[in-house]
Parts: sequence; C-alpha cells; structure tokens
Amino acid sequence: MSKIKALILTGYGLNCDNETAYAFEMAGAAASRIHINNLIDGSVCLTDFQILVFGGGFSWGDDHGAGVVQAVRLKTNIGDKLLEFVEQGNLVIGICNGFQTLVNLGLLPGIDNNYCRRAVALTYNDCGNFQDTWVHLKINQKSPCVFTKGLDHLELPVRHGEGKFYADQTVIDQLELNQQIVIRYAWPDGTAAMQKFPFNPNGSLADIAGICDPSGRVFGLMPHPEAFNHPTNHPDWFYIKEICKREKKEPKLPVLTGTCIFENAVNYLKQS
Amino acid sequence: MPHRIEIALKADLFDAKGEGIRQKAKNYFGISCKAVRIINIITIDADLSDAQCELVKDEVFTNPVTQISSLKPLNIDFDWIIWVGYRPGVKDNPGSTAIEAIEDILKIKFTPDEAVYTSKRYCLKGADLTFAEVEQIAGELLANSIIQQWKVIAASDWDLAEGTGFIIPRVLLDHIPTVSSVAVDSDKTLQKISDQRNLALNPDDIPTIRAYFTNPAVIKERALIGLADPTDIELEYISQARSDHCNHNTFQGCFSYRNSDSSQIEVIDSLFKTCIESPTLALKKKKDWVISVLWDNAGIGRFDDDHFYVITGETHNSPSNMEAYGGAITGIVGVYRDPMGTGKGSKLIMGSYGFCVGHKDYKGELRPHLHPRRLLDGVIEGVRDGGNKSGIPTPFGQVVFHPGYMGKCLVYVTALGIMPAQIKGKPSDQKTIFPGDLVIMSGGRVGKDGIHGVTAASETFSEHTPAGHVQIGDPYTQKKMQDFLLEARDQGLIRFITDNGGGGLSSSVGETARFSNGCEIQLEKVPLKYQGLDQWEIWISESQERMTIAISPQNLNTFLSLSEKHAVESTVIGTYTDSGKLKISYQGNICAYIDMDLLKSGFPQWKFEACWQSPSCRGLYEPVLSEPDDYNALLNDILARPNICSKEWITRQYDHEVQGTSVIKPLAGVERDINSDACVLRPVLNSNKGLAFAQAILPAYSAIDAYHMTSCTIDEALRRLIAVGGDPEHVGGVDNFCWPNIRFDSKTNPDGKFKAAQLVRSCRALRDICVRYEIPLLSGKDSMYVDGHLAGKYGERHKISALETLQFSTTGVIADIRKCVTMECKVADDLVYILGITRNELGGSEYYEHFGYTGLNIPKVDADQFSLIYKALFQAISRELVASAHGIYRGGLAVHLAFVAMGGGLGIFADLAKLPARDFLQDNILLFSESAGRFIITIDPANQSAFEALFDGLPCALIGKVNAKADLVIQGKKGRIILSTPVKSLKQAWQRPFKDLL
Repeated sequence: MSKIKALILTGYGLNCDNETAYAFEMAGAAASRIHINNLIDGSVCLTDFQILVFGGGFSWGDDHGAGVVQAVRLKTNIGDKLLEFVEQGNLVIGICNGFQTLVNLGLLPGIDNNYCRRAVALTYNDCGNFQDTWVHLKINQKSPCVFTKGLDHLELPVRHGEGKFYADQTVIDQLELNQQIVIRYAWPDGTAAMQKFPFNPNGSLADIAGICDPSGRVFGLMPHPEAFNHPTNHPDWFYIKEICKREKKEPKLPVLTGTCIFENAVNYLKQS
Repeated sequence: MPHRIEIALKADLFDAKGEGIRQKAKNYFGISCKAVRIINIITIDADLSDAQCELVKDEVFTNPVTQISSLKPLNIDFDWIIWVGYRPGVKDNPGSTAIEAIEDILKIKFTPDEAVYTSKRYCLKGADLTFAEVEQIAGELLANSIIQQWKVIAASDWDLAEGTGFIIPRVLLDHIPTVSSVAVDSDKTLQKISDQRNLALNPDDIPTIRAYFTNPAVIKERALIGLADPTDIELEYISQARSDHCNHNTFQGCFSYRNSDSSQIEVIDSLFKTCIESPTLALKKKKDWVISVLWDNAGIGRFDDDHFYVITGETHNSPSNMEAYGGAITGIVGVYRDPMGTGKGSKLIMGSYGFCVGHKDYKGELRPHLHPRRLLDGVIEGVRDGGNKSGIPTPFGQVVFHPGYMGKCLVYVTALGIMPAQIKGKPSDQKTIFPGDLVIMSGGRVGKDGIHGVTAASETFSEHTPAGHVQIGDPYTQKKMQDFLLEARDQGLIRFITDNGGGGLSSSVGETARFSNGCEIQLEKVPLKYQGLDQWEIWISESQERMTIAISPQNLNTFLSLSEKHAVESTVIGTYTDSGKLKISYQGNICAYIDMDLLKSGFPQWKFEACWQSPSCRGLYEPVLSEPDDYNALLNDILARPNICSKEWITRQYDHEVQGTSVIKPLAGVERDINSDACVLRPVLNSNKGLAFAQAILPAYSAIDAYHMTSCTIDEALRRLIAVGGDPEHVGGVDNFCWPNIRFDSKTNPDGKFKAAQLVRSCRALRDICVRYEIPLLSGKDSMYVDGHLAGKYGERHKISALETLQFSTTGVIADIRKCVTMECKVADDLVYILGITRNELGGSEYYEHFGYTGLNIPKVDADQFSLIYKALFQAISRELVASAHGIYRGGLAVHLAFVAMGGGLGIFADLAKLPARDFLQDNILLFSESAGRFIITIDPANQSAFEALFDGLPCALIGKVNAKADLVIQGKKGRIILSTPVKSLKQAWQRPFKDLL
C-alpha cells in the first residue's frame, strides 16, 4: 500500500510547514509542502492527497484578524474544491493559524453540516499578549475526532495572541452535545482549567483548545502538536531523564509526543 | 471618493487591548479611565461602489461572531476620543494586506494612486478625564509624533455623521527627479556642500575626493560620457561607502594610547586588524569547523557533514530611541536578512535580543523623547512581532537597566541560520559574480526611508511629506521573500546574494560589483513606493525587506516565475560588468561614473587619541562596609533588583518553539520560570545534534575598566554555553560593541580620550581572551555614538553617555542533545559542588550597586586556569555525571544558589567554609562577589568519585546538598547559619517587580 499523502500549505507568512511536514513523515505519511498559489493555479491537485494541513504562522501578517485573509483567499479561489475534499472523506487539520483559518472558512465547526458558516471565533487572548507556554490538554474520548482516537491526555505548547475560543452559548451547547469539543485546557491532573490562567492561557470559553466537525474528520486546535516531535521538546525532559537514570531505566516521558495526532490520522486513512 | 469601515468588538466581548491601555494610563500617569474600547478604521482611498465596500466589510474585515462594523462611524459610548493614524509614507502593513484581500475578493487591481490606510479610534470612558490627560495618553502612550498623527475629540465636539473625517496620509511629492552636480573648486566649497546636503563627509576625506574629480585623466574620461563636476548621487555614494557604519573607520583607525602617568605612547594601527582579524584568522587555521569569517554578511561554522550554521549580530539603537516599536522591528527583521544573504543564503533558525534602557520607573527631571518604560514596551513589541511573524524562534535575550541608556537605548539583535553545506554540488558558503550577470532587487519597494538616518528627524513635517526616516519593518513581506529565496537557492539560481541595509543599493550594489569589477545600473527600473524621488534618493534609500541578487541571464525566466509564485516583487535593475566602473543611468542619462577602486585608494585613516587613567588614579576605592546581619532580607531585596528579577513577561511573548527545534528553552525548572544559562536547538530535525547559543552583557564593570568588562562578558557567554553541555573546543563568538563617542573635543566630549582608551582596552581584552579560550570571532559589529542630549528642568540640555557596552554571543555544536543539562537541581540529597575560585571581587557588582557603591576590585578572568575547569566540566556532562549545572553570574553565589533551588523547587544547604576561595574572605564577599569562572553543580551521590576524579587538582568543592525541604540554608564561615529562608519566598521576591505585566 502506498503512503498516505499529506499536503501542507505554505506561503504568505505561514511558517510551521517544515516541522509539520517532518511530524507527518514521522507518522508514516508522505508529506508535501505546497504553496497556496500552486493549489490555486491548479499546478497541484488536492485530489492527489488524503490529508490537507492548514499549519501555523501569520498568514498575511494576521493583520485583519488571524487567519482571516487566508480564508478569504482560499474561499474565493478554491472554496468548492475544499468542500469536495471534505465531502469525499479526506482529513483536514488546522493548527493555530490553520485553526483560525478553518473557523473563518466555516469548515469548522460545520454544525448541521453547514461548512460555510462562521459560527465560532478565535479572538485576542484575555491576557492581552502573545503567549508561549506549554499546556495540559484533556481529550474528550467521546468525540468523533479521528485525530485523537485513544488519547486521553496531551501536553503541547501554545504560541498565539489570538487563541481565545469564543461563540454564542447556544453554539457552545451544540458543540458540547455533538461531542465536537475535542480538547480542553486542563490542570496537570486532567481536570478542567476552569478559565484559570496560565492553565487556560487565553481565556477560551469552556476551556476549548480544539474542536472537530460532526464527522470528526475536520479538526482544528490552537496547541502545536508538530512542535512536540522529539522527546527533548518537552520542558521536563531533562528532569525525567535524570530520574529515569537513577532508576536505571531508559528515559521515558509520561505523555506521548504530539506526533501521535498525525499517526492517528494516517492509521485512520489506512484502515478506511 | 474615499470609503471608511469602522470595526469594533461586540459590546459584550472583553476588549483586552483596550484594557491594557486603561491599565497603562493608570500605572504610568495615574490617569483613571473607566474603560477603553478600540475601533479599527480601514480607509479605502479607491474607486469602489458602496456594494463593493459592503462586501469587503462583511467578508474580509468583520468577524460575524465577535465584531460589529459599519461604513458609517460606529456609535460607541465615550467621553473622549483619540484618533491615531500614520503619517504619510510610514509603512502601513495592515493597509498593504487589506489591499491584497480586497483585490482578491473583488477581482480588481488597485491603481498606483489608490490605497488603503488603517487607523484607530480609541473610545475613552471617564467623566473626570481632562483634555490635558487625554492628550497625555495620546502623545505618550498611543502615538509617536515621528510616525503618527492624532486627534483628540471631546464628546461635545463629536459629530456622529462626520466621525473622525477622512485623513488620507498619501505621499504627494510633486517633484521631478533631478540630478545636480556639485562644484569642487575648493575643499571649503565641498565641505560647505557636504554640510548643506547632510552628506557627513569626513573633512579628512575631502581632499581625496577632490583629487579624484580634478584628476585630468578622470576629467577627460567623464567628459566623454557628458559628466563634469561630481553629481549628487556620486557624492552620496562616496559618503555612504566612507561612513563609519559601512566602513568601520573607528575600528580601522589609528590610536595613540598612553597611560596618564606615563609619557610612553603606543600606536595601534587598526583595532580591527590587530584584535579581531588576526586572532580570528589564526584560530581559523586551528579549527577546521570555521568555514567562513570576516568577509560575508555573517560568519559560517560547520554544523555537521551536510550543514553549516550562520551567525551575526547587529544593533538598531538610534531608530529605536526615536520610535521604539518601529526601530526594534526594523532591527530584528533587518538582522534576519544577514544570514539570508550569507553564502548563497541560509534559513533562519533563531534570533535573540539584548535591550539596554533607562530605569522603567524613572521619575527624574530629564526628558528623553520616549520615557524608558514606553521605550521598553515598544522595543519588546517590535522584536516580538518581527520574530514571531517571521516564524523564527526567539529563545534567548537579556535586559539591562541603567541611567546611561537614557541618552540612547541599545537594541541588540542576533540571528542564526542554517544551510546545506553544498548547493548543486558546490560549497554553499562560496559565491562570486561574473560579468554579464544580472543585478536583481527582490522584496520591498523604495521610498524615502532611512535616508541620512535620523538626521532627518529634526526636519519639520508638512501634511504630505513622508516621515519615512524611521521605518516599520514588515516581517510578512520578508517571510515571503525568504521562502522564495530558499527555493531559488535550492534550484541553483542564485550566484550571489546580499542584503540591502545601511546605504541601500549604494552599499549592496557597490560592494557586490567589486566581485566582477563593475556594474551598470538603470535606476528608473527600481520599483518605487511613490513617484518623485531624486536619483540619489533611490540609490541610497534604506527601504527595508530588500535583497540584491546576482543571477546568470539564462536563469532569469525561472527566477522571475518563482518570484511571482511567492508573490514577491523582483526586478532586473542592471548588469554586472568588468569595466572597472560603477555606472548609473536614469532614463538613458548617465548620472554616476566612478572607478571601482576609488574607495580603496588613499583615503586617510581616522586618528584617535586615547588616554588611560587607572581606576585607582581616578579615585575609585573599595567601600568600607561591614557584614550585614540580615542576609534573608538582603537576598530578597537583591533578587528584586531590576537587573536581577524575573522578566518572564517578555520571554513568554516571544515564540521560542516555532520550527519544532526547541531543546533547552529560555525558562527552565519544575515551574518553567527560571532563566536557562543558554538555549539549545535541534536545527536539523532528523538529527540529534544541537546548536547551543548564549550571550552576555555586563556594562556595570565599565565604570571600573572596560578591559575586565570585556573579559568577564566573554567568560560569561562562554560559561553559559559550557553549563548546558557545550564543547569548549567548538565555540564561536560574536562581538557587538556599543560605545559612546570616542573623539576628544574639549567642549563637546571632554572625556573622549578616556573613552577611546576604554575601547582600546576592550579590544585588547577581546583579543587576549578569545585567543586563550580559542573563540574565533565569527561575526561582529560596532555602533559608536551612544550619546544623547536630554532637556532638563530649566531648559538646559545634558549630554548623557552610555556605559561602554559589549554584548558577546557564543554558539557551539552539541554532539548529542540528549546529554545536555538544565540549570535546576533535580533530586533531594544530591551533592552540591562549586567549581572555580571565589575572590575578593565585588567591584562593579550588583551587591555594591545595591548600596550605591562602585568599588575597585573588579572580577578578572584567568582564561588558562578557567579553561581547565571548563574542559573537565565538559567531560563530566558528556559522561552524564551531572544532574544540573549553572554558572555564577551577576549577583554572585547567593543569587545563583537561589536560582538553582528555585528551579528545582527544592532546598539547598551550603557551607561557605568549604567554598574554594582565595584568602580568607568574609561571608558577604563569598556570597556576592562576582568572580568569573565559577559554576554550581549538583550530582547524584552515586557519581561522587567519578565526578571528583575529573576535577583532580582543580578548584572543585563539595559545599552542601539538595534538600527535600525547600529552604535555602547557608552556613557562614564561623559555623553559624547566616541565611535560612523558604525558596518559595525568594521566588516571590524575584518575580514580584514585573509580575503584573505577565
């Protein structure tokens, strides 16, 4: 069986494409970094891929709201192709700026299978600043999200100025009901952060860090799984290594690296 | 007919930015606003229909979930309004991206006359606010008159239909580009012209310039192409090339140095040659990992068989001092172009910062253009946006507060890149140009930006004159350009590449043309931001985000189509030749024709007098100070000092994990909040090799002797690298000097000879220490005029000079990142060791500063002795015998023991009687001396004998142990516990000063 192919968007100020491609390769996919314009001019066909990745960065400088101009450009030029891609059972993941783009495109949350409606937003952090910090994440195992199957707890870095998840209460209730809330900011023990800074680093309503569409095949999250692609990325790695050494054990982190999210995607497609 | 869109957050959403302004108004000026809400205004100066405007309003500029918007002014409650917009010609980055989005969605193209401008309307609530208070918030918090204009409107004057009105900051020059020629009949005339035109020609250079243009052979040649007297563009070219910024005349100068108590004069012919170039070349021979130094935009070292790393450092002081945000973002984005233009181009992998400013809470009478707290806010945000938006991690940085930086702040920015060792089978570090290669300018367009630097800052503004001398860097445009250039590089399209920084095209083309020995430039081809620039302005403009590239003509189409794909503008502006001439034309008329070798010929060397007065000669002495009783309170207070306390609020605003390479992060420890000694990256993702980076700045020691300031700074930067596991055999250095003016003038610079002597001594230390530590200087820069004139209480002006300051950066390759160590103690009952000798060296220390003293006994570096310790520690870390390692830096042993304990969340017991020390020293000296060359190490007791064996014969002593009970306990030499305090309270003291900013 040939490798699952992942397309990682590049260009216009996107910047996490290299490590995202690397993490997908680690997960067993064949990853291609493709410029947005190559997708628009048709020199690269979305239909040749099974995973579309909207990665992190500052597309168009994020000058008019994070991910807004990227969403406009894609919607205007290849909006129909994106919808087809989702309809055909492929996977889409948006990380940080990519998540912001997905919600501005309307591909998320996709409530009632409406993939064009902007129903949720990622707005300025309550702390008023860009924040780089590692967070604990509790995963909703009842969610249909294919990227988080079998996962319970993750630790990942967040790095954003506009990551506060915001929506009307009715929308949040609906997301909750549909199990579309995939990951939440949490205390180290896994209980909900309950808006407490810095565990919830941005003031997200309901501690929401990531959501999926009703099918579970479109997933967006603010934290960066691709930045945890090696054990030494973890802030406690040197401490854990020392403890393991005393116990004459190989160093082992208590959590999986972020690459597991991409492995789940690849495995899902291999099995489907 | 312009259109306006006003956008604001829905009323029930928390306006975090507005709240930030409310808090600052309160904290900085004591002005109480009830609330601040921000309205973003998009002014579209283009021929759009109302329906088109509605469409872009809804589809692009309004988030339906969080925002409201209208083509008419929004009706939001306020007592005062402050409107802030840019001055004409100031880079409006959101305006540019708005055009892209509008063009995309409407499928239209803006004409050159059409544009989008962004501005903000701040709605302030507060019934008691006065006009003067609102003006203060506007002028001292929200807007800087150098780049922005503002209006304050009271509720009673507000017309909801009219709103703020339409203010279109469009540049209208209405000027026909003209070349003028300049008479050179006498030195005096030329000097006069130089002064009038702000050419800043050095008086000593004038005879050489005249000799060239009055040479009969030159006259004859020039007559053939229709030129006689030199043109303005020619003189501007010479002026740029001869400037201290481009030519480093100070470091190339001739110094006569003497001691005040001696008549013996030493002559130093070029500090650069004797103290930088010659030791570095000698070390390059010894170290095969040094790939390229001293000629390119940055230095190059070997990372592994397949990759090279690239490093350089810069400062951007004067512009940041005038407009902190714009100066700093231009600085960081600018330094990122250096590695991009090194070899055939490298990919950026990290940046770092060093900020030196006046005290944040300064309450004195001097009136700097920007208060230090505002200046610091601005530079922090500038480097944040410049780094984060470039997708480059910023995992290291430092801040130094000192009143000397009130005259001019320092903004150090350092950049590292990585590149494949070979491009299409050829070494990537090497590049050259062949006659016939095309001269290409890629990236941004050219405006009146940065022309003659900040001298233009004193000019008065009119409504439509561009205020472009202070720029705002555009990381978005540059990121697109970097993506493009790396792809072009990998396709083998780039023959030569360099950046456009100081001096603009004049420098980049002038310098690259030396490789082919000539060029012909057609200036009218250079894309402009707006019409009406004179030819000389196009030539020397410092407009940002531009690279100059040489390509072979056969690759032109491939190159341009790749450029188009990346939405980057690239333009052929001329051809490289081997004519020996720099030839510039504008619409067919030749406006410059100069011999390429003119700049190499016969310009006189700058001369400086340097007179050293030893510290004791200057009356410095050791204070008479008895031992304190209350060490607990003392340590708490020292931890809270501005130069020691936590600055986590800055670190967290910088993305230090993008690219997924982070190994040792800027903040370490169980609560991830204590500063690491150095950062470590894994720049090649599929390799376990790492690159470590650190830097140090210790200006306080310059108050005693810049020689030892320099050696201590280098030692600290090296020790930081060793502490994380760096290999002393592979350490590259970057020197960044920031010095006050060293040219003596009895009236304007009476201590110039002393400052010159400090520079000579500093350079000698650089040479001595780097040779002994075997640190080749991979790159370096100097900024020589760190002085300012500040208005005082009575209208008098004070000259404020900064302390002589060196930032020294170190980098080195880590063989296996998994063997690195972090600084925090890790396990209770581990043994605590001190490496290195503590001496009576409190001169210039944080401890003395706390009491208002300078002192005399400055720390000294014994590089040969220290090297033995560093090599042994490297062995210990490589053999994984060490649980934690941390250098003892500013603040001394007490402060750094506290850090190690705070990081681990554990206690430490230390017995000062066991400390390796020179002579019998009292406890306060042992605790706060800043002797160089020392570390705090914790180890697993099981490793005791193996660890101690490595340090046989070296100063290494077991002084205590790590405790589960989290108290720092120090036993004095007389056997009494002199300090015992919960680590938690120490940490609170350390975090308290800036905690609210997080």
